[in-house]
Amino acid sequence: MDIDTPPIRLLQVCKAYGKTPVIEEANFHAKRGEFVVIVGRSGSGKSTLLNLIGGLDQPDSGEVLVSGHSLATLDERNLSQLRRVHLGFVFQFFNLIPTLTVAENIRLPLALNGLSKKDSILRTKALLEELFLTDFGKRFPEELSGGEQQRVAIARALVHEPAIVLADEPTGNLDLETATNVLGLLNDACRQRGATLVMATHSHEMVGHADRVLTIRNGCLKEIEI
Amino acid sequence: MNNLLSTAAQRFYFRHPWQLILAIMGIALGVAVYVGVSLANDSARRAFEWSSQLVLGRTTHQLVNAGGMLPESIYYDLLTRGVIPNAAPIIDEELRLASQPGRRFTLLGVDPLKETLFRSTIRPIPGESASPTALMLKPASVIVPESLANELKLENGSALNVIVKGRTARVRVVGTLKDIGLDPNGSSGLILADISTSQELLNLEGFISRIDLVLTPTEVENLQLLKPAGTTLLTATSGNAAFNELSRAFRINLTALSLLALMVGVFLIYATMSFSIVQRRPTIGVLRALGVQRHELLLNVLREAAVLGLIATLAGLALGHQLGQGLVELVLRTLGDLYFGSYVTAISPAISIYWKGALLGLGATLLAALAPAMTAANTIPAVAMSRAALERSAKEKSFFAALLALPTITIASMILLLGPENLIIAFVGLFFVLVTGALLTPLATVGLMKFAEPFVEKLFGISGSLAVRGVTSSLSRTGVAMAALTVAIATVIGVGIMIASFRVSLVNWLDDTLIADLYLQSDVQVEERGPFTEARLLAIQDLPSVEGLSLSRLRRLQTPDGELNLRAISPGPNGWGLSFVTGNAEEAISMLESQQGVLVSEPFAFRRAVTKGDLLNLPTPNGIQAFSILGVIRDYYTDGGSVTISLDAYRHYWEDNGLTGVGIYFATPAPNRSIQPAVQSIMGSGTRFRLLSNGTIKTRSLIIFDRTFQITEVLRILASLVAFLGILNALTSLQLERAREIATLRALGASPRQVSALGFVQTGLLGLAAGLIAIPLGIALAALLVFVINERSFGWSMDFVIQAKPILLGVALAVTAALLAGLYPAARAGRLNIIAHLREE
Repeated sequence: MDIDTPPIRLLQVCKAYGKTPVIEEANFHAKRGEFVVIVGRSGSGKSTLLNLIGGLDQPDSGEVLVSGHSLATLDERNLSQLRRVHLGFVFQFFNLIPTLTVAENIRLPLALNGLSKKDSILRTKALLEELFLTDFGKRFPEELSGGEQQRVAIARALVHEPAIVLADEPTGNLDLETATNVLGLLNDACRQRGATLVMATHSHEMVGHADRVLTIRNGCLKEIEI
Repeated sequence: MNNLLSTAAQRFYFRHPWQLILAIMGIALGVAVYVGVSLANDSARRAFEWSSQLVLGRTTHQLVNAGGMLPESIYYDLLTRGVIPNAAPIIDEELRLASQPGRRFTLLGVDPLKETLFRSTIRPIPGESASPTALMLKPASVIVPESLANELKLENGSALNVIVKGRTARVRVVGTLKDIGLDPNGSSGLILADISTSQELLNLEGFISRIDLVLTPTEVENLQLLKPAGTTLLTATSGNAAFNELSRAFRINLTALSLLALMVGVFLIYATMSFSIVQRRPTIGVLRALGVQRHELLLNVLREAAVLGLIATLAGLALGHQLGQGLVELVLRTLGDLYFGSYVTAISPAISIYWKGALLGLGATLLAALAPAMTAANTIPAVAMSRAALERSAKEKSFFAALLALPTITIASMILLLGPENLIIAFVGLFFVLVTGALLTPLATVGLMKFAEPFVEKLFGISGSLAVRGVTSSLSRTGVAMAALTVAIATVIGVGIMIASFRVSLVNWLDDTLIADLYLQSDVQVEERGPFTEARLLAIQDLPSVEGLSLSRLRRLQTPDGELNLRAISPGPNGWGLSFVTGNAEEAISMLESQQGVLVSEPFAFRRAVTKGDLLNLPTPNGIQAFSILGVIRDYYTDGGSVTISLDAYRHYWEDNGLTGVGIYFATPAPNRSIQPAVQSIMGSGTRFRLLSNGTIKTRSLIIFDRTFQITEVLRILASLVAFLGILNALTSLQLERAREIATLRALGASPRQVSALGFVQTGLLGLAAGLIAIPLGIALAALLVFVINERSFGWSMDFVIQAKPILLGVALAVTAALLAGLYPAARAGRLNIIAHLREE
């Protein structure tokens, strides 16, 4: 990817579910290392926007470009490849694999990218330390609190050094203190790596940390001055 | 409230149509196998009973001649002396159609005037020339079964070519025998002729097979005193005793196999119901939290199970009915091949079997649903909603189940080692062994997965670990299905090893006993040389490359304890060709040669409870003669066991110089092609004989063997099918349930192919684990079948040969079933709605 190419570009993107429009003619681009927050009410289309960026859903019209690749031109295999290399996901309900230990959950994207076990273990160890998870490496997700689980999810989203991290209500399931803590970690880790962080949330608490804030209302994506 | 709960349950199945279909199919198949086999068994039993009833009628006793055919003069003598007021002369011989020599009928030669007293069931169709007396008026006339007449388009006066005692003769149809009895569409298998016609057909004028009698106890005592020497008075049912016992053993074996299929079916029903309830545990937890009472939940689950069970049971009954129709032919053919010399057709089975099947299907479904429903209803709502708690409990249960295996294997050992030597008891023991295997399966799966993980991880990386751990972390879903699959695969392996062992033993036995190079056989069982005249034997002996001959006389002997095969042998240059089980072979043969006793076959020794050193009473023309049993020999001829005696002793005691077989031994290895034409030329074209090479007899024996085990194979396949459905159900549901995990992997960049592969690795591992656990269980099962069940059923001992083929076949079946079960989820994984499943909590 060219250094000047914006990691994310949305051009005239429209998406409707049935006859209900969710996103109408959205235009947006995110810069490298930027922290973008998308706010809006539940059901406003925030998650849909993230899904479109993540290639998990397709727009009805318009174009989504991720790291310079137009998603419409990619087949399923190449979309998977793009997600594997360029994207990291953090979900509201953590979505950790219950049968894998914390370390293995973090190592999973590296394994999918074909990194050797030795190297991936080293990188996992470093992240465990960075996110204060060193003691949890051998535990299973069910043995962890919500905040700890979300830290593991953040580590998993960052371990393969993606250009973009998409976080869908990452603190929606946490108390305020833990949420602030987790968010700080996520933000810091992304900034250190120069990764673009796009986060969807219905909470305005996180706005202060963002570089840019977007809102979706009645399908219209607008930037808010902060 | 109840309506809402029922609606929720209905919608669960509507949203999981595959699960609904598999559940119904699983229950239906379990019921169908039981009903099908029971119908076939019952139909066969009633057909044979009816057939026997048809031949015996009101006969209470039979007078037979130990020397063979009974001189007709004895009948007239006893009749005129008033010793047997109610008596009828009978000729009872096998008859084949010249156009279809493979079909066997019973030629019943009767005195038409006496028949109304004895066999009122034989009622020819009233009408033109159809009375039994018509048989007396027209020479060479017969009355044939109505179904045969229809099949061959025979009318009154039609000619029919038949084969009796190896001779072809032409008879005329003078009437048809109404197909009566339990099934209006059945055939009696009897061809009725006048006694004199029968004598002509047999070329035995002046002789009859037996005298059928209706006797009072006083008349029995009287006849015992006045009957001529050499004759034996038998109770009418004694001839059937051996057959009844054998066919009973055969039917018990079949029933056991069907019960095994049902057991696997019940496992499947349990797995299906418990799975559908386990999947709804969170919902159950929520309902409990909302205030739904335990009994309301339980009732609701039971109602749901009843509806499901009813639909599936009805389908199972219909399927079982069809299956029964297919199986009855197989059962009858096998029984006919093995034990019965006549053609018998199916009879409508008892209607109660359908009720039993319905009860089993519904009962098993309700019971299977009760256990998981109770567990869910009794669990604290918060725990019921937690999957982790469920899996922890499943793991604890697997340990508990393994502990339970201890008492079950103890019970099995006690039953088998200390219990009475009874076939049904043996099957109970075998059942407990299978239950032990089923109980150990979940824990063994956990152990195997732990062992396999490093290897699988090396092969597939972290995805491999994910697959392995997925197996152990889903024991609540897979445990019961795995146990069902293991039991079914163990059955496949066990029965496979047993059949292979039997086959190897048969081959070895054939090698030991078929020591001549060529065999001449004759069907003629009369007191004459038949085709084997002195001149012909000398001519064969003089052929170049013929080193010597062995001579044999095989005859059926009626004894008060039932019919037996008496085999008289004069050995050839290679010895006696006997395979000893008990007794010193050298010593026994030396005594046999010096006419000091007889050898008995294993089944004979088993059924008559005799062994070496005992005395055996055999009827001879000069009265009962006691013979010392010199040893027990292996004999896989199945028609009731045999007694072997030297030909010289036989001729001495039975005053019969007849021969039924000649073995030809080559001096040097000579091609059969060069000797066979010479032997055939010596025997001439006018005589009835069969010339068979050693190899041909072996091949034919093995064909019959394989045919005999066809029914076992069918049941084995059905049991596997039930198990396959079970694992398909469990694995499909399991894979579908992992949608969130798969969606996460897809979001992380795993391609559809990778997640499909992950599913296949997991299902393959489950199949492999079931296959591997089934190996020791299958071998144990085979050992029980060989050393206990077969010995107690048929009296056969056999070598225990563990061949790789049945084991590999069983493991391959398990892995294939599991991989096939992964197909649908794999296809679905590619089309998975990632967004929807990512959001699931």
